[in-house]
Parts: sequence; C-alpha cells; structure tokens
Amino acid sequence: MSIFAGGYAGKILYVNLTDGSIEKRPLERDFALKYVGGRGFSSRILWDELETKTDPLSPDNRLIIAAGPLNGTPTPSASRLVVAAKSPLTGILGDTNSGGYFSPELKYSGFDAIVLRGRSSSPVYLWVRDGKAELRPAKHLWGHKISETNHLLKEELGDEDIHICAMGPAGENLVRYACVMTDGEGAGGRCGMGAVMGSKNLKAVAVRGSQDVGIADPRRFKEAVDAYRQTLEGEVWTDVLRRLGTANLVEHRQKLGIWGAKNFQRATIEGWEKISGEAFRERFLVKVMGCMGCMVRCRRYSAIKEGPFAPTYAKGPEYDSINPLGAKPYITDPAIILRAHYLCDEYGIDEQTAGSSIAMAMELYERGILTKEQVDGVELVFGNGEALLHFIEKIAYRKGFGDLLAEGTKIMGERLQADYYAIHVKGLEVDASDPRSLPTRALTYAVSTRGSCHLRGFPYIDEFIKPEEAKAYFGTEAVSNLKSLEGKGKMVAWSENWVTIPNLMGVCIFAWNRSRSFPMLIRRGLELMNEIFVATTGLPMTKEQLYHCGERVYNVEKLFNVREGCRRESDYPPRRFFEEELPDGPGKGSKLKREEYDQLLDEYYEARGWDKKTGIPNPETLKVLGVP
Amino acid sequence: MIRKRIAYFENRQDPEAVCSRCRMCELICAFHHHQVGNPGRACIRVISLGQGEDIPVTCLNCEKPPCMDICPTGALHRDESVGMVLVKKDLCIGCAMCVNVCPVGAVTLDLVEGVAAKCDLCGGDPQCVAYCPAKVLKLTDADQLARYRMKEFAKFMKTQVGEN
Repeated sequence: MSIFAGGYAGKILYVNLTDGSIEKRPLERDFALKYVGGRGFSSRILWDELETKTDPLSPDNRLIIAAGPLNGTPTPSASRLVVAAKSPLTGILGDTNSGGYFSPELKYSGFDAIVLRGRSSSPVYLWVRDGKAELRPAKHLWGHKISETNHLLKEELGDEDIHICAMGPAGENLVRYACVMTDGEGAGGRCGMGAVMGSKNLKAVAVRGSQDVGIADPRRFKEAVDAYRQTLEGEVWTDVLRRLGTANLVEHRQKLGIWGAKNFQRATIEGWEKISGEAFRERFLVKVMGCMGCMVRCRRYSAIKEGPFAPTYAKGPEYDSINPLGAKPYITDPAIILRAHYLCDEYGIDEQTAGSSIAMAMELYERGILTKEQVDGVELVFGNGEALLHFIEKIAYRKGFGDLLAEGTKIMGERLQADYYAIHVKGLEVDASDPRSLPTRALTYAVSTRGSCHLRGFPYIDEFIKPEEAKAYFGTEAVSNLKSLEGKGKMVAWSENWVTIPNLMGVCIFAWNRSRSFPMLIRRGLELMNEIFVATTGLPMTKEQLYHCGERVYNVEKLFNVREGCRRESDYPPRRFFEEELPDGPGKGSKLKREEYDQLLDEYYEARGWDKKTGIPNPETLKVLGVP
Repeated sequence: MIRKRIAYFENRQDPEAVCSRCRMCELICAFHHHQVGNPGRACIRVISLGQGEDIPVTCLNCEKPPCMDICPTGALHRDESVGMVLVKKDLCIGCAMCVNVCPVGAVTLDLVEGVAAKCDLCGGDPQCVAYCPAKVLKLTDADQLARYRMKEFAKFMKTQVGEN
C-alpha cells in the first residue's frame, strides 16, 4: 500500500541495464512535497545520481521517465510525460515532454517514475505491468522504425492497449538529437533522449496497468475540476487551439515578423499562407484529437491522400514542425513539411534540431563554406524540399553528410569553423521565434535550463498585464509597458517558476497556463492547480508553497548546469541576434543591444537570488528553498 | 417501451465533431462509480481502429438483454425506475456469462471487485455525456436515433437529386 491517500502510485522503479537488476523503491513523502513529480523528480534525481562531467552516452548516465501526481486522474489534460537525462546534444540537463497516454498508463501500472542506468549487452525492452517489470530481448525490434516497433510489440505482448515509449533508427545510431516517441504519436523531441536510449541498448519501454490512481477527497476534487472547466469556457486561446492547433501561430509569427526563417536571415515568409494553420486544416486535417482527458484538443490527425507522398497518415503537424521544417529551410509546400514531419517521427528524430541543422547547412552551402562535394552532391539551397527529405533519412542512419548533420548545429559550427551560423543556446537550437525585436523572449530562451526553449518561461505577460496587476505582482507598473525593460527580469523569473508547475503535475501547459488575463494565470495555473493537487493527494500545500516548488526545481536545474561549467556567459543569446538587424517585417532594423541585455540579465539574476557575476545561485537563496 | 441509451453521434464533415480519443468518458465514468482514476474500470471504452478512427462503445440497453437473461443468480435485473439493466453486486458470482453474451462487449467484470459492471446511465444523468468535450456522446433512444438516421438519409437524397 502506498503511503499516499491519492495521486501517487508510491513507487519508483529502478532498472540497471548492465546487470539486469530491477528494484522497486518507495516514493518518500518529503520528496513528493518538495519536488511534486515529473520534471521535479527527474531534475532532482539527475542532480543526485550523476557525477560531474558524466559522458551522456555512457552507461553512467541515467534515463528517467516520470509521471506527475495528477496523471491518471480525470484532471483535464493530465497527459504529460517527462523523459530526462544528461543531454548528448547539449552536455547539460536535458528533458523532454510528451503528451498522449503513456504517462497515465505508467501510473496505472503502479509506478510514478522509472530510473534506468547502465547499458545492456544486447538490445532489450522494458515491459512494465501492474507492479511487475522485466527486461526482454529486443533484437527483433532493432532497426525498425517507430510504427513498426509499436506494431511488433503489441503483437508480441498480445495486447493492443499497451502504451509504448520507443526510439527509432536515429536513436540506435546515436543521432545526438534522436527523440523518443510515445505510441508513435507524441514526440518527446528535444535534448536527444532517444540517443540516450540507444546508448543503453534500450529500444522501448512498454507499460500497461489496471491499478487505481486514488483521489483523496473526491468531492473537493470534482468541485475543483468543474471550476477549472468553467475557466476554459470562453477562453479564446482554447478555441483557437482546437480549430487550428499550434499551427495557429503561423499567422502570428508572420504578422510580428519573428519567424527566424532561412536560418534567421529572414523575419517573414513569402507565401506563408500556404503553410498557415488554416491551410493545413483545409488540405490535410482528418480530425482534431485530444491527449488523455484533454478539453482543448489541439492535437491534429492529418493525412496526405493524393500526390507523391500519398498515403501518409500522421499526428500533427505542430507549429514546431512548420517552423523548423518550413520556415528555417524556407519551404512553403505544406505536403513536404507534413511528409518531413512524418519521417522525423518515424525515424525518431527531433524535427526542431533536424530542421535547424539542415537550414544551417543550407546557409553554409549558399555562402560557399560547404561545397557540393561535402554535401553528397546535393544542391543544398533554401527552398529545396527534396534535399530536406533526403537528409532526414541520411541523418537517421548517419550516412554521408548526414553524419555531420546528426551532431546538431553546435558541433557543426565547431567542426566547420562556422559557429556564427549555429543558432543555439547551450547547444539547443533556438526554436519557435526570432527574439531580436523582443528582448524578454531573448532572455527566456537564453537562461532556460535545458538550452534555448520557448516553453521554459512565459515572457508574453507584458502584452496583456494591467498596470495595477503589474505593480502588485512585480513592484512596478512598467511591466505592463511592452517597450520598457524595467521589471522584465523579475517577470521572466516569475514566469519560469510558474510555468514549471504543470511540468511537475503532469498536466499540459496549453490547457493550464495559457490565457491573456493575468488574474486567470493565477487562478487557473496556481490556485486551481493547487486545489486539485491537494484534493487528489491529500498532502498539505498552499499555492505559495507550490510556486516555491517550481522555483526549487528551477534552482536544482541551474545547479546541475553550474556543476557542468555553465556561468553567466552561458546565458547569452547567439551572436547573430546582437550583430545583425532583422532584415524585413514589422521589426525591421531590430537587434539585441548588449547593454540592454546585460541589464535584463542583471535584473533576472537579482530576482532569482543568483550571483550577478557568475550566475551561480547564492547560498541564502538555496537555503530558503531547502536545496540541495 | 422507449429505452434510453448513450449513442455516438459524429459528423464527418466537421473534424471537431468526431471522437478525439481524449478518453474523458472513460476517466469520468470510473471516477463517478469508484472515485478513482482508472479507465480500466469504466463502462464505456474508446476503441481505436487506427488511421484516426476512434469510436466510443457502451451498453445499448437492449429490450431483450442477453446479459440479464443468462445471469444464473438474478444479479442482473431490470430496474424500471431507471429503465436499465443493473447489477446487484451481492448476488453476482463473477461467472462472466453476461460478458460472454453481450453483443457489444459492454459488460465487464470490475478489475477490483471481480463482479459484473455495466453502464447504469449514472441514474439518468450520464457523466460521459456531460463531460465529452466534442459533445458527440448523447443520451438518446431508438426513436431519436432513427430520426437522426432518416435525416442523414434525407440529406443524402437531396444531394443526389441536386446532382441530377
């Protein structure tokens, strides 16, 4: 029996792939209260168990698969899974987040998290069912793409309802940004967790369970869930996401001129209408989908039913498929983007780093830094969709020039002496948008604890917060002024702590943390979240304490990266954003100014209680948070 | 005799008005009946057929219910106040005869209690219907279903005539 009245399964599964030993350890109450679940568990376990400078592809690295306390309950959108390890792409803390059904099923199978270490001498998969776990041979699965792997596993285990977290050929070939795929639909894309699986000879983890996830106070739980559902009524963001998915952002990026197209050489795209959310809906959408318990339903199910790529069935595409596979390599044929997205999922490659790496190579080719001979005789110019599809496959098998592309932009930049064109922070490519005209976004990307990431903070608050709200929360009305930098460091730090909370709970940020009303961010993202957590687990927690859990986890992640050598200089955006102006669009002429950025970073460190010179958390800060 | 049942109404012309496999129906059913999170204990299931086909399945509320007729202990009985076959848990011996004969697989043995479990329409206010985000589950009856089908057929006929 679990010591918890609800929410937690109460057990963590430890697997040593080297000697095949499997151990179940109880989840401690104090650990749950301080780190909650999901990313909190994974970050803290990585900090505790890894030695400094561990080679990410060595047996010493850990692979952690973690659910949150709300996964498995009818909490809306409680579908998210965290997969974490030291990243082979960045060399710092790595984690990735996937929706779907795996995370709830992990809970039904009796575990809150799985911690894997070591390396198996031959390919294996882990089969977890109702409190039991075993390693089984996976030689027959090796070499198979994601959908084939899933099919073979379901057949072998004789159960269509298992849920699978697998890596594809790219993981086997240690592509530094190989991803993990849950049920072939949900990509845990970033940071190369698939390569870590590959290095461990672990093809897949399959889970199935019939155990209850308890709910400590059902009546209170239902009231809180119903209150949450009400907050979604009339939420514009929800309607837009359901209609167009994350691809709704295409129009937004074009209007603001923040695409980062052509490897950040253009801010807008000619012919962007062809790859808009509306265009994908019109041409390819079969139906909208929802991850486990989702009311927003931003997931797409798409099909190419005619033309050279027919038939292609795929979940997606997301905005974060269209940006790296469309904008960055400057491709406006939506069928090519959807096909490329499908191939990335099948081979198990993070499409963001893949698209970024290919786009970087396109720029280097056009600039004459890469010769045609070096790129396997391919005319590797922007807009060449065939080249994109060609190299996605080459990357997965590390063939020809794909072998260098498989390293990601940071290493490509080093090897080709062209690091100026590698647009990354701490080794993770800049995704989502070009922040040159929006310094608070640049700050968010640059200080993120997993390398550049647009989901590690929520710097958009200054677009809608009211002056009086800004004064109350951040001490200055200036935060409500889009042009002002005052208070923005504090705002970014606050948003990082706050946006971490859904990652701890296992819920989706699109459902919980998206609104253009600041009071709603508090109401839904903190108050109701905390209320549901307390009703589910029966643990004592206030919304202030929950916020501090977010802050605590962020600090542990920072400590991990500091231990690996990250300092203040690691928290700067790529040089291009300081040196080149945006060439077109509404932000034309904008670039980051070093003194402004210095000032933002100073204020951010101050808000965090980190040393301004080094970026290292002050001892007093850690003491207050009870870290480590 | 008009019997209520939960039916799946999709509209294939509208990508938002089909089952989106969020499985909220399963989650809320298990929560309503057992106060836990566990879709394995739900009396409605979303069946995935691949390539975007997902269909929720639950009890049809038959007029001549094979599950009740075959029950050797009388545990499955018709409760006329709800108009539904219900389970007397204390009488059920968990033989699974009902599971065997249900034409749609809507009767199961509860994973924890081991006795027959089936849809009870939540006493008249089915939670799966209330919580379905796509609003494709409806509490209806055969008469309304037939009307719906007729209307779909009529619309189809109209398009045929229109083409000529």
